[in-house]
Parts: sequence; structure tokens; C-alpha cells
Amino acid sequence: MRVTVIAGTEKGAFVCTSDRGRREWEVRGPLFKGWRVTTSGRSPSGRFFLATASQVYGAAIHTGTDLERWSQIERGPAYPDKGERKLNQIWTLTCTPSRLYAGVDTAGLFASDDDGESWQPVVALNDHPTRSKWFPGAGGLCAHAVLVDPARPERVWVGISAVGVWRSDDGGRSWQPKNAGVRCVSEDNEHPDIGYCVHGLAQDPEHTERLYRQDHAGMYRSRDGGDTWQENADGLPSWFGFPIAIDPHTKTIFAFPLESDEYRMPVDGRCRIYRSRDGGDSWEATDRGLPREHYHASVLRGALAVDPLDPAGVYFGSTSGDLFASVDGGDSWQALPCRLPRILSVKAYVEE
Amino acid sequence: MAHATLELPTLLQRVLGGRATLEVEGENVLEALEDAYRQVPALRVHLCDESGALRRHVLCFHNDINTRWVDESPRLSDGDCITIMQAVSGG
Repeated sequence: MRVTVIAGTEKGAFVCTSDRGRREWEVRGPLFKGWRVTTSGRSPSGRFFLATASQVYGAAIHTGTDLERWSQIERGPAYPDKGERKLNQIWTLTCTPSRLYAGVDTAGLFASDDDGESWQPVVALNDHPTRSKWFPGAGGLCAHAVLVDPARPERVWVGISAVGVWRSDDGGRSWQPKNAGVRCVSEDNEHPDIGYCVHGLAQDPEHTERLYRQDHAGMYRSRDGGDTWQENADGLPSWFGFPIAIDPHTKTIFAFPLESDEYRMPVDGRCRIYRSRDGGDSWEATDRGLPREHYHASVLRGALAVDPLDPAGVYFGSTSGDLFASVDGGDSWQALPCRLPRILSVKAYVEE
Repeated sequence: MAHATLELPTLLQRVLGGRATLEVEGENVLEALEDAYRQVPALRVHLCDESGALRRHVLCFHNDINTRWVDESPRLSDGDCITIMQAVSGG
């Protein structure tokens, strides 16, 4: 068995591999040296995907099966020629057995039904009647999170900053905003159900109505698929942060709180992953093995991941290029043997 | 129809399988770039934005002349060189 963690950074992707124990790691890279690697994905067929971006040369998706040879997808996500929307970055790739999704900046959702070879816009969301009122967050107007219900793949959630969470129950043909109970950060008089700045989304893979969301203005959970949300920040040192992830076996939730939207730095200069082992009722800090002082780098929304093994591996990368792993639910952490460029995304994959 | 050489910067040579140059043809620079996109479709997204124009920070030289400085797409002669570069300013 091989465990592979792909860290997408400001200057390329780095591939970290280990065995099931996940104690000894080999690091190689950069792949796509000089390119921003904004996210990665792997479809059930075994194809890997890497999304690259550049301020000069645009965004693209590349695919390959061995993490060595890559080919660029020619019919990747794209907005119409001569239109106003520009595709600046691919934020997330979500791969399911039936369909692949790409969330992009400027905000939009694209889908592929041929294992990533061609991508079509999800028009009902991209051209939603509220679209003209969508307002960008500090990171741009981006669709950065996509969840698909494994039991009902026609049910899809998308997180867009600073617009909110959307849900489709019909495979993307119609979309409803799902932000009831969440603090609004950018009120719109005409469309009061948008203006919510979701930063991260996670879903209980077994009880798929249970969703977790790190917002610009708080930590929330839903027990009804996003119809209603309740704040659950007991024990967190701040309401602000970006990434959120869930252990598929223990259902432990992990997050990296930051000191307010004004500062966006670790609270008290300490590198601490917070976890909730009771479905969000309470949170506690974990930092054994992590830097305990003078740590002022943050963790971006795509840079926290959990692998599917039991016990799960939890991984996060920082803006200072540190990459950490835990294989005991956050009780202890180890640094992987590398200091990378600014880490934009972390994803974990397992091969038998 | 003139035959010219298109030179790509290192970051883009991946789309040519690692090569730095591509032989192209056309009456002018625009036609030669279209010929390049026909030969290597993956190149277009890196050079052009949704408007169809060259991306803001992409420079295109015809021999020694920056094509942004001229009004019409320059006519090509056999042996000309079209060079793609990344615009650089500041530190």
C-alpha cells in the first residue's frame, strides 16, 4: 500500500509518499516547476488531475496516471469567448464515480461526464438570477468547495465566496442558496439569501445530512443537509479560519482557526489544529509535535486533508511551506521532511 | 505564405513536449499564431484570454519588434522568428 500526499504550492507540486504507517516520507518535485498548482484530484478510474495557474499564462488542468507523465486537458473548464467572465484559477476538483466537478474563479462550476476529457459549465448555477449581485471575497469571487452526496449523487453542494452555500437536488439543473442561520457578511437588499462568505465545507460521508462549514463569520454545522445551520464554536479561540476536514471513520472534525479577518494569523503565534470529536459540540486544541511559539504562517482553505485509511491520516500545509501529518487523530503531529513554497492545496490518496 | 519559427519560454515548453520551438506558417504574425494553435491546441489558453487577445502579461515579438507597438499584425517573411515572452516589470 502506498499513501501519496500532493502539496500544490506557489511554485509547483510536490509528491510525498509513504507506506501504511505514514511515518517515513519521501518527497519529490517540483512537478510543473514555476506554476501555481492550485489543487489536485483523482477520479475513480485512477487518473490524477493537477490544476495549474499563472498570472501570465492562465489556468489549465493536466492529467496522468503515474504522477510523472502528464497531458494537458484541451477541453478544460472555460468561459465563452468574448464574454466578460475570465477563468483565473481552478480552486477545487471533486471526483465521483459518475461525474467530475471543478469549482473555479471567477466563480463558476464546471462538470465532466467523460473522466475529465471535456468540461461543461453548470449553467443553472453560473447564470443564477442572483449572479449580478455576487460579491467577491478577499481571495476573489471563487467556487472553492464542492460536496457530492455519495448515496445520492444528484445532490451537490457548492461553496462560493462571498456568496454562500448552494445546493442542487437534481444533478445541477436547479440551485437553492442554503445559508439559514449563518451570519451574513455582505447584505444584499434584493437577494437576502446571498452575501454569505463560506470558507470551507466538510460532510459526514455516512450521515450525509451532517455538514460542517467554516465561515468568514463563524463555525457552523447543519443536521439537515444545509437547510438550517447552527453555530458551533465552543472551545475555538476565534470565529475566523479557512480549512475544515472530517475523519471519515471517527467523524472527528479538524480546523485551523485564525485571529480575525483583520489579522488572518494563528492565534497567539501558535500552530494549533483544533478538533471536535463530538460532532461540533466542543473543540480542543492539538499541538503535540507542532511549533509552539513564533508561528505566524496560516493554512489556506485547500491545505488541510484527510486520507481514507483507518486510522485516517490528517495533513496540513502552511503558507510558510511546512507540511505536517498526524496518524492518531491529532494526538500528535510530525513534520514531513521538506520546506516548500507557499502551500495552496493538500490532498491525500491511497493506492492498494 | 511565409514559414517562421515560434519560440516559447521555458514555462510553456511543456505543451511542445519539452521543445522550445515550433515551425509555423502564415501571411502575418496573427496567422502564424493561429497555425500554432491548430498544431498545438493546448497552447491557446496560455497565450490568449477570453477576449481572444494575447494575455495581458504575454509579450509577442516579431524578430526584434514588440507586436504591441504596431497597429497591424506584421507581415512575415521566410525565416522570421516569433518569440513569446513573459512581461517583466518591477522586482
